Amino acid sequence: MEFHKILVPVIGTEADEEAIRLACGLAKKNKGKIWVVYVIAVKRALPLDAEIESEIRKAEGTLDHIEGIAEEQDYEIDTDLLQAREVGPAIVDEAAEREVDLILMGVTYERRFGQFTLGNVVPYVLKNAPCRVILYHQPIT
Amino acid sequence: MKVVIMGCGRVGAQLAALLDSEGHKVAILDTDDYSFQRLPSAFSGTALLGNGTDEDILKRAGIEEADVFVAVTQGDNRNVMAAQIAKHMFNVPKVICRIYDPLRRELYSTLGLEAFSPTTIFAQILKEKIES
Amino acid sequence: MYIIIIGGGEIGYYLSKALLDEGHEILVLEKNSARNEFICSELGSICIQGDGCEATTLEAAGTGRADMLIAVTGDDEDNLVACQVAKYKFNVPRTIARIKNPKNEAIFKKLGIDVTVSSTNVILENIEEEVPTHPLTHLLTIRDKGLEIIEIKIPPESATVGKTVKELSLPSESILSLIISEERKPRVPTALTVIQAEDQIIAVTSPESEEALRIALRGA
Repeated sequence: MEFHKILVPVIGTEADEEAIRLACGLAKKNKGKIWVVYVIAVKRALPLDAEIESEIRKAEGTLDHIEGIAEEQDYEIDTDLLQAREVGPAIVDEAAEREVDLILMGVTYERRFGQFTLGNVVPYVLKNAPCRVILYHQPIT
Repeated sequence: MKVVIMGCGRVGAQLAALLDSEGHKVAILDTDDYSFQRLPSAFSGTALLGNGTDEDILKRAGIEEADVFVAVTQGDNRNVMAAQIAKHMFNVPKVICRIYDPLRRELYSTLGLEAFSPTTIFAQILKEKIES
Repeated sequence: MYIIIIGGGEIGYYLSKALLDEGHEILVLEKNSARNEFICSELGSICIQGDGCEATTLEAAGTGRADMLIAVTGDDEDNLVACQVAKYKFNVPRTIARIKNPKNEAIFKKLGIDVTVSSTNVILENIEEEVPTHPLTHLLTIRDKGLEIIEIKIPPESATVGKTVKELSLPSESILSLIISEERKPRVPTALTVIQAEDQIIAVTSPESEEALRIALRGA
């Protein structure tokens, strides 16, 4: 499989780090382009363009960190910070707009009410993505 | 006393029977005539089929002369609406309604409705039982 | 404006679509999950699943910053409660409720709902317009002022034909604002304007004076 345009959504977990390394590896062969996107979910109590400083700081920190990892891999990436009501649709829209051929995202092992859960972002992306999707699942520590 | 009760469930039927046996004039409303089977055979009041959020039905039940109106259907919103009609449109002197949702009960209490939440009351009783 | 719509049925769906087109920020609250998914897939992430009468759901919807709440579920009592919770708990400046039973209009108004829309009344008003023999047609209600705009046709046999406006004994709370003659010529009436057969008169009146106005214009 060849990938020329890859979208890597991140939220600041360890799985993101592996996901970006993988993306760099996959893109290198064709000198493909990588966009890393962080989506801030804005609560309805605030307008969509509200500037939530703590969230923005966390997002920028994560994007800087990911950029650093890509640099270690000797690869240049573009980063983007988005605000949306729902993360899943924002990722899918971004993928469609940039016409990427792959969404690569890291998944952490999470339990809620004693049950393993993928949350609602991953299932939404799997269901609605206009392109291929690769999930990287973090081993259980 | 003249009492109009909306909702002939277990609570409504029991209350109607109690008041009736003490000689009060009771009219009870329900949208399902099967509910009236909950009334004892000795019940001498009026059982009326209809929706208590409808002014005409309330008039037929005698709301204009009622001293008390009680709303105890399964629907919180139906109870709230009927109680407000009884209080503000017909000026019934005493209006009581059941609201399961504690938050909604709180709001309508501040708006001047006499409302009870079985949820809050029962949880409180259980807590007291546990602690005693 | 930020507008919250309670109920994602047919009315809620088309209403949000129209309001989105006008550039408003819209959020729909819908109990049914299939309906919720349908709206999200058609109109984007503008719908959340939940009971629009519950304070917690309304809180999550950001009702505190809403400019308007419109309740269009199929149940009058649900629409009433959604509007009241919005108004009295979240101080939403304007609440609009759909009602099915036209009688509920008075009740809702008394209980603090700003505007009620009754499809039954809308159909009734259209019937009035369509029936030519109907002496008086309600064109518009100005709710916050307690006034209505009505139309009255002057039949040829009417006792007022040939009289001037000054000669009519109009109720004090009514004003004739426009007269459209049979030749479809509109004119603004003055005290000396003569009433003619087949005139269509547009008037502003209080609902209480409606009957007196009709009698003044057409004769008893």
